[in-house]
Amino acid sequence: MRSWDVIRMRWRTLRRRPRVEDELERELRFHLEQQAEENRTRGLPPAEARRAALRRLGGVAQIQEDCRDMRRTNFIENLWRDLRYALRMLKKSPGFTVVIVLTLALAIGANSAIFSVIDGVLLRPLPYPEANRIVRIFFHSADYAKFPLNPFDFRDFRARSRSFESMAAFTRGDLQLSGSGRPEQFTGFRVTAGFFHVLGLHPAMGREFNRKDEIPGNELSVILSDRLWRDRFAADPNIIGRKITLDSQPFTVVGVMPPGTEHPGNQYHGVAYGQTVDLWWPFAFRGNPNQRGSHFMEVIGRLKPGVAPGQAQAEMNAIVPDFARGWHVLVIPLYREIVGPSQRLLLVLLGAVALVLLIACANAANLLLARATARRSEIAVRAALGAGRRRLIAQMLAESLLIALLGGALALAMAAGAVRVLVALLPAGFPRADSIHTNAEVFVFTFLITLGAGILFGLAPALQAARADLHDRLRDGGRGATSGGRSLRLRNVLVVGEIGLASVLLIGAGLLLRSFVNLLHADPGFRPEHVLTAQISLPDATYKPPDAMRFYDRLLVSLNSAADIQAAGVGSDVPWTGYDENIGGFTIEGKKPPTGEDFHARYHLASPNYFRALGIPLVGGRFFTTADGAQALMINQAMARSYWPGKDAVGSRITFEDHPKEKDWMTVVGIVGDVKDRPTSAMAEMAMWWPIEQAFFPVQQMSVAVRGAADPALLANDIRRAVAQLDPTLAVADIRPMEDIADANVSTPRFSLFLVALFAGLALTLAAIGIYGVIAYSVGQRTQEFGLRMALGADPADVMALVLRQGVRLALAGVGVGLIAALALGRVLRSLLYGVGAADPVTFACVAAAAIAIAVLACYLPARRATGVDPAHALRAE
Amino acid sequence: MKADAPQNQNLLQGTLDLLILKAVAPGERHGLGISRRIEQITNGTFQVKPGSLFPALHRMEEAGWLAASWGESENNRKAKYYRLTKAGRRQFESEVENWGRITLAMASALAAE
Repeated sequence: MRSWDVIRMRWRTLRRRPRVEDELERELRFHLEQQAEENRTRGLPPAEARRAALRRLGGVAQIQEDCRDMRRTNFIENLWRDLRYALRMLKKSPGFTVVIVLTLALAIGANSAIFSVIDGVLLRPLPYPEANRIVRIFFHSADYAKFPLNPFDFRDFRARSRSFESMAAFTRGDLQLSGSGRPEQFTGFRVTAGFFHVLGLHPAMGREFNRKDEIPGNELSVILSDRLWRDRFAADPNIIGRKITLDSQPFTVVGVMPPGTEHPGNQYHGVAYGQTVDLWWPFAFRGNPNQRGSHFMEVIGRLKPGVAPGQAQAEMNAIVPDFARGWHVLVIPLYREIVGPSQRLLLVLLGAVALVLLIACANAANLLLARATARRSEIAVRAALGAGRRRLIAQMLAESLLIALLGGALALAMAAGAVRVLVALLPAGFPRADSIHTNAEVFVFTFLITLGAGILFGLAPALQAARADLHDRLRDGGRGATSGGRSLRLRNVLVVGEIGLASVLLIGAGLLLRSFVNLLHADPGFRPEHVLTAQISLPDATYKPPDAMRFYDRLLVSLNSAADIQAAGVGSDVPWTGYDENIGGFTIEGKKPPTGEDFHARYHLASPNYFRALGIPLVGGRFFTTADGAQALMINQAMARSYWPGKDAVGSRITFEDHPKEKDWMTVVGIVGDVKDRPTSAMAEMAMWWPIEQAFFPVQQMSVAVRGAADPALLANDIRRAVAQLDPTLAVADIRPMEDIADANVSTPRFSLFLVALFAGLALTLAAIGIYGVIAYSVGQRTQEFGLRMALGADPADVMALVLRQGVRLALAGVGVGLIAALALGRVLRSLLYGVGAADPVTFACVAAAAIAIAVLACYLPARRATGVDPAHALRAE
Repeated sequence: MKADAPQNQNLLQGTLDLLILKAVAPGERHGLGISRRIEQITNGTFQVKPGSLFPALHRMEEAGWLAASWGESENNRKAKYYRLTKAGRRQFESEVENWGRITLAMASALAAE
């Protein structure tokens, strides 16, 4: 018969099952009556006739069963029947059911939640067509792993590289909208021609930028984001061609991007990611193409089909020496650049949550094993009635599958909420956070691990139950140490495994905790309490550098004289907010640089009170003042130690000019303490600060830092008022207490710690339940023995010690396994740790002690119960 | 299945199928009728008990060789009648041919030295 017909027939058979059963019964009844009638016709008396017919018919149930077997849809029918029976059994012991289902639901739910995050961040493709061809391009040298490019370097690459279909560069360029209402600063990027084309995106309205827009003077066009267009311009359909005032200049709107446009992220100067970007405007190539000192362009490119990133990198490295000595090119796929740093963390979390699931399965297996031994007689009867070994196993598996499915359903119900909570807890700037949803993939994943879990924890009890020595079980009503022996050993192994896995998680949590505490206690190099920061952007058009200088001078005077402000400063940036890699090469008077290198350090701008405002300590010399003019310099300890080892750098002079005149020499006036880029950075970069008078680079965008004992809101008002007094059209953006910035910088370690600690806690609870279950069961088995001991004169305390020793032995074995496993897995965690090794003995010891203590605690109740055994009663038991 | 002489179990199933097919080939019968017919045409050698008959009937119905319908019996009781399907008739003819070959082979085997 053709397979399609077979399937159809099976389906019909399934659907018609009740009718078929009914029909069979009628058929058999007909047969019986007909046979009886024939017997009567042959002369037998009615009663005898019927009995003879019955005898001939044989066992009706057997016939029905055999016919059912013939029907070959048995598997599904049996499964359905088993599931219904399992449901009945579970309803009979609600406490047991609730405990297992709940623990499974929590474990499966946690797995689903973490998988949702992984799906959204790691598995989902980037929102650009053929995103695997998009790469980021960096410069790389021994000192700087990923460095931005100079605009003219980028232009040369664009002209000469053969590996790319298209290439574009972008750099941060926020713009202020003034006019109606409060002036507002928008997140923006300056982009070169064809930027969106590289990404594979097109404006929903209008056009994108072309080479003509890169000519200086043509920059006054802007492309809006969909959100900005709707929020600020009421989705005006005639927006194209309209002029809006940004940074006091008339910009023409030439395009609007479709909703959901995601900017691919940048490295420096305050990462702007995804859909947070408001507008894009052209980058124009200005200045001397041979002056390539400043590096601030971030470059992306779309590889030609079939070209690998490595090939492109090699090709570009071949042409680099022609225009940029000393640099290598680094080509990194965009995907890796965006999610790379978070990959390790997410995989660690997935591992942790998988361990929790394993522990929950072990627990479930344990509980089911205990119940299987308790149901021995029932199973034996079933076996005696003809249930084959395979059927028995199937029945038990049906039960565990049902439990697993219930747990999985509950987990799904909680999943959506759990994912939302998780996303809310994600550290700031976590890549691709808005693509995290519960979706079809998550459902499928949950279903699969539910099935897997059900089979995993159901197999052992099922095999155990089916392993029947029939007589053995039917005989004694409860004891049978031999048949329970193997089960008990298996349960012990499971508990040892549980404790081991829980120990691994606890050690992970402990290490992360120590890292986090180290981070919190690490000296940031500044004092973030009571400090408020803000960004001010002075439009080029209305503020030429001298105007900008005057503005800041007046602003600082105004702020520093305010009653509740202790110190107010202005600088090119504040700590821990990202940094444009601006490095200056310089000469030190009277020193020769090591051969082949030159002296270089990062440069920043700062006003005199900047360091005081931020609480950066002075470690040598003094702070520069306005009286020092433009020739004074502050350097940090890293730079002092590096270039003036063993000597005092104060008083030395350096210059940035190749042929310096007297006015080009700057004098080191003071040394300040080191501030690292991030709390987890290994060490601080060498850095120096010029007074803001020394306007080597644009002063139009500056950060304001204000220290005061007052409420941050009041300080914010002070800043806004002071700015408004000087220029009411200026926006004060990004007002944040320094403490928030500091906090945000430890948000990732805090996040990992929180989750791993949560999972470890869950694991420990489950393991405690597990060991309690096993010890309680064992005590139950040995009541006779305990009764005997006490009858023979043993102290209750001795009995208790006996039980506790058993528990401690299990715990020790488990902890031992866990410690070894943790040592082996330690490497995985290393990149997430700070200030503590992956094999930290203190953590290991604490976890071991805690695990054993919890185990002892869990055994306490059963141990006490053991002492409560009435010797006479125990001896009497059969 | 009772028989006068001990038989091999596997052979019996194939034999039973053939006998059932033979019994319904001329026209439809109900279960008891099939059993009676087999007893009749084998001169009492094979008395098929319900425990063997019904599973076989259901199996052959599953396989598509028999089709069943409910009708009225001789004494106006409702009974389930089985008849041969087209596939069943083909199966019957092939089984008959097979059986013929087996008997020839057995005869020649037993007659050999």
